Amino acid sequence: MDGSSVEQAFLAMENGGLKGSSKEVRLGKTAHNMSSSSLRKKSDLRLVSKVRCGLIRSFLGNLQEVILGTKLFVLFPAIPLAIAAHVYGFGREWVFALSLLGLTPLAERVSFLTEQIAFYTGPTVGGLLNATCGNVTELIIAILALTEGKIDVVKYSLLGSILSNLLLVLGSSLFCGGLANLHKEQKFDRKQADANSLLLLLGLFCHTLPLVFRHAATSTQAVALPTLQLSRASSIAMLVAYFAYLIFQLWTHRQLFEAQEDSDDDDATSEEAAIGFWSAFAWLAGMAALIALLSEYVVGTIEAASDSWGLSVSFISIILLPIVGNAAEHAGAVIFAFKNKLDISLGVALGSATQISMFVVPLCVIVAWIVNVQMDLDFHTIETVALAFSIIITSFALQDGTSHYIKGLVLLLCYAVIGACFLILRAPLGNTSILNIGNTPTNNQVLRL
Amino acid sequence: MIWGFLLAPFTVVLSLNYEYFVTDDVMRLLGVVVCAAKVSETVWEMDTNEACSVENGIINGKSNGPRLVGTADNLSFSSLRKKSDWGLVAHTVSSLFRQLLINLQVVILGTKVWLLFLAIPLAIMAQYLGYGRVSAFSLGDATFPWVFALSLLGLAPLAERVSFLTEQIAYYTGPTVGGLINATCGNATELIIAILALYQGKINILKYSLLGSILSNLLFVLGSSLFFGGLANLSKEQKFDKNEADVNVLLLSLGVLCHTLPLFFQYSTEAKLSSANAKSMLLLSRVSSIVLLVAYVVYLLFQLKILQQLFVAEQNVSEGEAEEEEVVIGFWSAFGWLVGMTVVIALLSDYVVSTIEAASTSWGISVGFLTVILLPIVGNAAEHVGAVIFAYKNKLDMSLGVALGSATQISICVFPLSVIIGWIMHMEMDLCLSILETGSLAASVIIVAFALQDGLSNYMKGTVLLVGYTIISACYFILDPSPSKFIPEPYSQ
Repeated sequence: MDGSSVEQAFLAMENGGLKGSSKEVRLGKTAHNMSSSSLRKKSDLRLVSKVRCGLIRSFLGNLQEVILGTKLFVLFPAIPLAIAAHVYGFGREWVFALSLLGLTPLAERVSFLTEQIAFYTGPTVGGLLNATCGNVTELIIAILALTEGKIDVVKYSLLGSILSNLLLVLGSSLFCGGLANLHKEQKFDRKQADANSLLLLLGLFCHTLPLVFRHAATSTQAVALPTLQLSRASSIAMLVAYFAYLIFQLWTHRQLFEAQEDSDDDDATSEEAAIGFWSAFAWLAGMAALIALLSEYVVGTIEAASDSWGLSVSFISIILLPIVGNAAEHAGAVIFAFKNKLDISLGVALGSATQISMFVVPLCVIVAWIVNVQMDLDFHTIETVALAFSIIITSFALQDGTSHYIKGLVLLLCYAVIGACFLILRAPLGNTSILNIGNTPTNNQVLRL
Repeated sequence: MIWGFLLAPFTVVLSLNYEYFVTDDVMRLLGVVVCAAKVSETVWEMDTNEACSVENGIINGKSNGPRLVGTADNLSFSSLRKKSDWGLVAHTVSSLFRQLLINLQVVILGTKVWLLFLAIPLAIMAQYLGYGRVSAFSLGDATFPWVFALSLLGLAPLAERVSFLTEQIAYYTGPTVGGLINATCGNATELIIAILALYQGKINILKYSLLGSILSNLLFVLGSSLFFGGLANLSKEQKFDKNEADVNVLLLSLGVLCHTLPLFFQYSTEAKLSSANAKSMLLLSRVSSIVLLVAYVVYLLFQLKILQQLFVAEQNVSEGEAEEEEVVIGFWSAFGWLVGMTVVIALLSDYVVSTIEAASTSWGISVGFLTVILLPIVGNAAEHVGAVIFAYKNKLDMSLGVALGSATQISICVFPLSVIIGWIMHMEMDLCLSILETGSLAASVIIVAFALQDGLSNYMKGTVLLVGYTIISACYFILDPSPSKFIPEPYSQ
C-alpha cells in the first residue's frame, strides 16, 4: 500500500473508524491473526482525546492500544515482577514462573504488532511476517538455549510445541467445537490439513532416520559425526520444503488458505491499522527485547525450578513451556471451533505445528552449526515415538474432512497419556546427569535421560 | 427322545464311575439335566393349538414394549438361531413345567450350535476324572488334553447364548440400558478369563489372550467378512459407514499408543532397569488404563446416542430378512439363565486357564500360539460366523460393527479393566507387551485403518487382512515366543 492510502486510513480512524474498509486493507488475514483477534478488545480512544498535546496524545493512544488492547493485559505486571525477582535474588523458581507468565501476553502482542505492520507492507510480505513471527517465543527460547549449550532443552521444548499444537490445541478445539455443535455437521477443508500432514510426516521421517541410524550402529561414538552431518543435510531439505510451502500458501494456492470471514461477525477487529508503521515497528523491537530477556531467565532457571518443584526438566520443557507459550493461540482456536469455523482452528494448530517442525527445528540445527554446537535431529526414542503417534493419529482423524467430539477427545487423551508418560517415566532419578545439562555444551551423547 | 439320546451315554459312564464325583454341585447339575430329560419324555406328543396360545400369551404382553436397540452383535447371533418348534412343548402337565421347558427349548436348543453344549458336561466330567492330567483310563490317548479341548468347545455356544439372553433382557430395560448391557456382556467371556487368570497369577497368558482377541477380530473376522462378502457381491458396490470405522480406528490407535510408550522406554535407556523404574512403568500403565476407560465411557455414550437415531431407519429396511426381534422368555427367567450361563462360563474358563500349559506340552505347540491364535478363534467363533453371514448379505455395517467393535472394546475396556483389577489384587499387571506383540498390533491397526479409510470394500481387502493374519499366526507358531523370552526382566513370570 502506498503512503497516501495509509494516511487516509489513519485519518479515517481518527474520525471514528472506517466503514467497510477496502479490499486492499483486508490483507494477509491468516488464521493466526484471526484467532488472536478474538482475544482483543477495541480500545477506547475517547479518554485519550482529552489530552491536549498531540504528541503525548498519540503516544498514549499507542500505549492504550498496545498494552491494554488485549484481555490478557492482567499478565503484563508479571514482566517487571520477573525482572525484580531476578535482580533482587528471589527464589529462582519464582523467576521462572513469573517469566513464563510474562511471556504469554508478549507473544500475543507480537502477533498483533506483526499484523499491524502487515497492513503497510502488503499481503505477501505480511503473510511472511506472520508466518515467521507466529512462533517467535519458541524461536527465541530455542536459540538462547542453544547458545547456552542446553541442547536437550531445545529439543524438548520444540518437540513439546509440536505435540501441544497437534494434540492439545487441536484436540480441545475439536472437542469443544463438537460439544457445542452437537446437531450440526462440522466440516473443514481437507486440502489444508493434507498439505500440513504431509509436511509433518516429512519432518517425522527426518527425525526418525538419525535415531534409527544411531541404534543400528555398533558403537555410539563412531556414528556421532555422520548423524550430525545427516541431520544438517536433512535440515536444509526441511527448510527448502518450508519455503516451498510458503510459496504454496501465500502465492500460488492462496485461495486454499483464505481464512473464513463472517460478514456479520462484529467482534473482529476492524480492518484498519490501529497504529502507525514506525510505532508498530518500535513496539515490536521493544517486545522482542523483552521476550529475549524473559526467555533468558526461563532458560537459565529451568533446572532450579525442576529441582524445587520435583518435576523433571523434560516434563517442564515438553509440557509446561508450550502450554504457556501457546495459551493465546489455544484460546483463540477453541473460540473459533465453538463458532463452527473449524478451518481457522485447524489453520492455527496445524500451521503452528508445521512451522515449528519445518522451520524452527531446522533453523536451530543450522544456527547450531554456525556457532559450533552439536545439535542433531535425533530426539530420543520415546519422544520420537510420541511424535510419530501424534502425527499419525492426527492425520487419520483429519483425513475425511468432518469432525465430532470423539475425535477431539481421543487427541486430548493421547496428550494426557504422553504427558503422564513424561511425568512418570522421566521423574528425576537423582543422578547428576540432569544437572549437568547446562555444563556439557558440546557432546550430547551422555545426556540420554 | 433327543434328551434321552443325549443322556444315555452320560448315565452309563456315571454309573460306572460314581466314586470319582466328589462335589455336590456337579451332582446337582447332572440331576437337573436328568429330571428335565424325564419330563420331556412326556411332552413329546403336543397339541399345536395350545402352543399358539402359549406363544401368543407371551408375545402379546410384550408387543408394546420398547424396541430393542439391536447392536451388530445381537443381529449376528440371531442368524445362528432357529425358531423353536412350539408344538413340542404345548402339552405339558402343568404350566410351571411348561414354562421351564419352553425356556429350556428356547435357550438350549434355540441355536444351531446346540450340539456343542454336549461338551460342557463332558468337560466337567473330564476334569474330575482326571483325563487331562493323569492317564487314569485308556479311553483313547490318555495324554490328550481333554479338559482343555472340551472346555474350549463348550465356551463357544455359551458365548452365543449369553448374547441372546442379554438381548432378551434388553427388551425389558429399554434401549439405552439394553445397549449398555449388550456392550458389557459381549465381553463377558474375555473378562471372566481375565479375572481368573489374574487370580492365578498368569499375567502373561492374560496379556497374550487379550492381544490375540484384538488381532483375531481385526484381521481374521474382518478379513473373512470382507473376503466372503466381496466374493458374494462381486457385481455390487459394497459401502459402509466411514464414521463408525473412523472412531473405532482412532480408539484402537489410542490403545496402541498406550502399549507402545512403556515398551520404548525400556528400549531407550541404557541402564539396567532399577526397581524404581519398574514401579514407574507400572504406574504409567495404570494411569493409561484410567485414560482408556474414560475413552471407553465416552465411546459408549457416543455409540448409544447414535444408535438410537440410526437404528430406527435400519429396522424398516431389514424387516423381511432379519429374524423377528420379539421376546421369547420372561425377564426373570432370562436373568436366571444368564446367571447360570455365566457360572458355567466361569467354570470352563477356569479349566482353560489351568490346563493351558498341559495342553501346550502334550500337543507340542507353544503356549504363545495357543493363547494368541487358538483361544480367540474358538472364543469368537459364533461372532465370526455371524459377521461373515452379514457380509454375505452386503450388510457390511453390521460386520464392521461386530469385528471392529469387539476389537475396540477389548482394547479400550477389557485390557485396562484387567490392569485396574490387577491393581486391586496387588498383581503386577500392566499394559506392556513385548516388541513382537506390539509390533504386530500396531501393524494390524495401521493396515485396517488404511483398508477402511475410503468407505468401500472389495474382496482384495479381505484377502490382504487374512494373509496378514496368516503371517502373524505363522510367526507365533514358528518363533515360539515363550512368555519369559521377549519380555524384559521385571515382568517375566
